[in-house]
Amino acid sequence: MTTPIEIHFRKDLLDTPDLFVMVVEFRGEMDESNIDDAATQVYKIIDESPQGASFIFDFEALGYMNSKSIGYLSDWFSKVVEKGGILSITGAKENINDTLTTVGLDNFIKMYHSVDDAKLALLPLGDAGGQI
Amino acid sequence: MHITPSLLYQDTQEIKRISVTIPCSFYFQSGVRDFTLDIVRNLTSLPDQWAFRFQTIVDELCNNAIEHGSKGEGELCLTLYVLPTQWLEVVVEDMGYAKGVKAQRLTEIVEEKKRLADAQVQGLRGRGLGRIVAKWTDELSFHDRPTGGMMVKARKYIPS
Repeated sequence: MTTPIEIHFRKDLLDTPDLFVMVVEFRGEMDESNIDDAATQVYKIIDESPQGASFIFDFEALGYMNSKSIGYLSDWFSKVVEKGGILSITGAKENINDTLTTVGLDNFIKMYHSVDDAKLALLPLGDAGGQI
Repeated sequence: MHITPSLLYQDTQEIKRISVTIPCSFYFQSGVRDFTLDIVRNLTSLPDQWAFRFQTIVDELCNNAIEHGSKGEGELCLTLYVLPTQWLEVVVEDMGYAKGVKAQRLTEIVEEKKRLADAQVQGLRGRGLGRIVAKWTDELSFHDRPTGGMMVKARKYIPS
């Protein structure tokens, strides 16, 4: 038995057809009961993405993250960067923002209020506005 | 799977004590987090940021008790003590079914983690106690229980 968590992903085109971003939505809570299985799904999405793919992790519907899920987040970031992409977070609730700031992840993962703001920042001459 | 509810509300003069015994299973942690959020909001003057922080603190302490103190067997006891306007304390006790580390060694590990810079904390684990719980509480201590297992206390003084 595990705490409910759903992970959905889609490929969104940006300004031009050759520019896209993978948007990964997290719905529910990530805790010790479900994080290992959830992580397997995310690793698969990252591994199967094209070289250079950037990711937006949409946390708007995510209610909780425990410390182990933050450890995975740090590793997902590393893998995306290794493949030449950028990882950003959008819509994080105050409690999650607070935890990510406490462990210092906000120093290297860009955080935005919305998916649209994060997409704007990925454009070639993207405005960095909307960043938390 | 049996839940043994043991909800004791004891108002002894000033300190309020609420104790819950739960099975050592991660599945119940979602309910424990909700319970903690409600207790902190209703019994203290702490702002919501701290109610959510205690949700995490309790979750991390219980997770450690389940993973290292019980290996999924038996029960753990969570007690919240509140001296209104003064302090809030969380105590988590495991029964020691697993041969986890002793209190002295855990104290040393947490102190080591506290001294690391954020970028030095690599890997999946190691952030819960040393980086999050230790930062968000004013007192964090570990005690070996005479009958086996460990008791962890985390206290936050409420700003006046």
